[in-house]
Amino acid sequence: MRMRMKRVITRRDFLRGTVYAAMAGSAGFGASGQAEAGAEERVKVVLVRNENVVDREGRINPEIIQQMLDQGISTLLGEGNAAQAWRKLVKPDDIVGIKSNGWSPLPTPRELEVAIERRIRETGVPKKNVSIDDRGVLNNRVFLSSTALINVRPLRTHYWSGIGGCIKNYIMFVSTPWLYHPDACSPLATIWSKPIVKGKTRLNILSLLRTQFYGRGPHSFDRRFVSDYKGLLIGKDPVALDAVGAKLLQLQRGVYLGEDRPLDTTPRHIFAADEKYRLGVSDLRRIEVVKSGWMEGALI
Amino acid sequence: MRFQKKYLPFLILIVSSALAMSENPAFSADGKTVGMKRLLPQKVGNYKSDGKDQFYDRQTAFRYMDGAAELYRSYAFKLLMVRRYVKDGSPPIVVELFDMGSPEDAFGVFSFETEGEDPGVGQGSGYGGGLLRFWKGKYFVNVYGEQDKPPTREDVLSVGGVVAQSIKKEGQRPRLLNHLPDKGLSARSIRYFHDPHSLNHHYFLSHENILQLGEKTNAVLAVYSMPAAQGKTLLLVIEYPTRVRADSAFLNFVKAYMPEAPLTKAARIENGKWTMAQVYQKHVIVVFDAFSQKSGEALIGTTRQRLREK
Repeated sequence: MRMRMKRVITRRDFLRGTVYAAMAGSAGFGASGQAEAGAEERVKVVLVRNENVVDREGRINPEIIQQMLDQGISTLLGEGNAAQAWRKLVKPDDIVGIKSNGWSPLPTPRELEVAIERRIRETGVPKKNVSIDDRGVLNNRVFLSSTALINVRPLRTHYWSGIGGCIKNYIMFVSTPWLYHPDACSPLATIWSKPIVKGKTRLNILSLLRTQFYGRGPHSFDRRFVSDYKGLLIGKDPVALDAVGAKLLQLQRGVYLGEDRPLDTTPRHIFAADEKYRLGVSDLRRIEVVKSGWMEGALI
Repeated sequence: MRFQKKYLPFLILIVSSALAMSENPAFSADGKTVGMKRLLPQKVGNYKSDGKDQFYDRQTAFRYMDGAAELYRSYAFKLLMVRRYVKDGSPPIVVELFDMGSPEDAFGVFSFETEGEDPGVGQGSGYGGGLLRFWKGKYFVNVYGEQDKPPTREDVLSVGGVVAQSIKKEGQRPRLLNHLPDKGLSARSIRYFHDPHSLNHHYFLSHENILQLGEKTNAVLAVYSMPAAQGKTLLLVIEYPTRVRADSAFLNFVKAYMPEAPLTKAARIENGKWTMAQVYQKHVIVVFDAFSQKSGEALIGTTRQRLREK
């Protein structure tokens, strides 16, 4: 058996443009590299944007966000309407946890939570079997007995893990989150194999209504570095959503800061989720971004 | 009866202290919380404390600031006190007072971000986007508004100024800064840290800890502005506990980052600029993005001289 040497990734790999190959190599697994990329199945994610979803005062229009969600789910699942699409995802006897994110500077918008819950209820799931939660999931009856999870959170840079996205949003399913912080949070995907979540996630949604592309200040939040992107990124593969999200944040930094400025922390957990833990696809060449709606300044 | 009355105030104090400890995991019996409370006035102008002070230590800080706590934990952070000041008709102002264990580490966490104007608060400060950051003595302080409509600059600076004045004891910046050559040094670019994550935040080097940084190493990174067209050069000076540790880190760095230059320890990298490194006593000196080999060697040479002198 051929042993693969552990590869150290440095700044020079970024300058050479060989980071992905180096990342794959460092994980010690067969890289889905240049030659193989074209042969493998592509993963679909849907980007929906609407320039009117957030008004000048920062208020979110609940009707428009519902339309965006419906459009995104229908496109993702290839159904003619949202009701049919949701019925593919959730059954009336499911117990559904909507894993949100309550980080106070940039939480999952309440309007989006309501829009998701409404569609789940319309599939026939009784109210007592649906719950929205973040930090309380380990004490929440619905989450503890759930058969289906919907994962929804905003996209932002993160001091320790590079980005806060779908993969990281499940950290509240463990009682000792700090144990996942070493090595830029690279083991985060292991949480997805824990019994409380394993195999239950039916849908992942990255809220791009507002994206935080640069962290600063005591809580790594600064209003000046939050963009009204007015979008939703929807898919079944959390790794693909995070890979696209990381790329978007990097591009937004370039536009706003006027220079090509990589994320302060390389989001290793995304690559590890793909190459080491096989949770999904991180290679952008294997991710198809289907766009719907207003695309001015979309960057991706 | 007289005996009981005499000791009644002490009894009340003991019971109330016990209650406070049971409610706040960060409460320490050595009176640190009391000392920190004394540093924050109850009233500043028309703002007054909401009476709901919070304390967090190295273990509980995650509850307050999630993963952002790792920044403070990468220094010798001891205790955080959070107090909200409220005023009718105005957004509340939050003061976060960090006991960083030493003036060096208070400066260090302050140096993590040095953007914005310097309003002259404490021993070093920065203001921008409604956030005031400053350090004084062993304390690092954030003052800011929580809501979408932030408090005025005047109010934030006023509260910050009063807090800074109440911290009486000043402290020294890290000694390692004294070894930085003066010519071309951008003072606001100086960063002081211990761990590889902070280095990567300012200048991504590697996802591995190739310079073997850690809590027992002290590092300073600074930008040097060179003459026009030569751009910016970075100087990194790391102090290790021993010469042996410095040698080990130096060799590891050269092997991982400049494998083509095992003898010269200088390489022209992919952006056309030069990286070079030397070990001196228990220090490793690295220059990144030098315009030429000669200019990089000159910066290292001056740094060696400063290390020798002090």
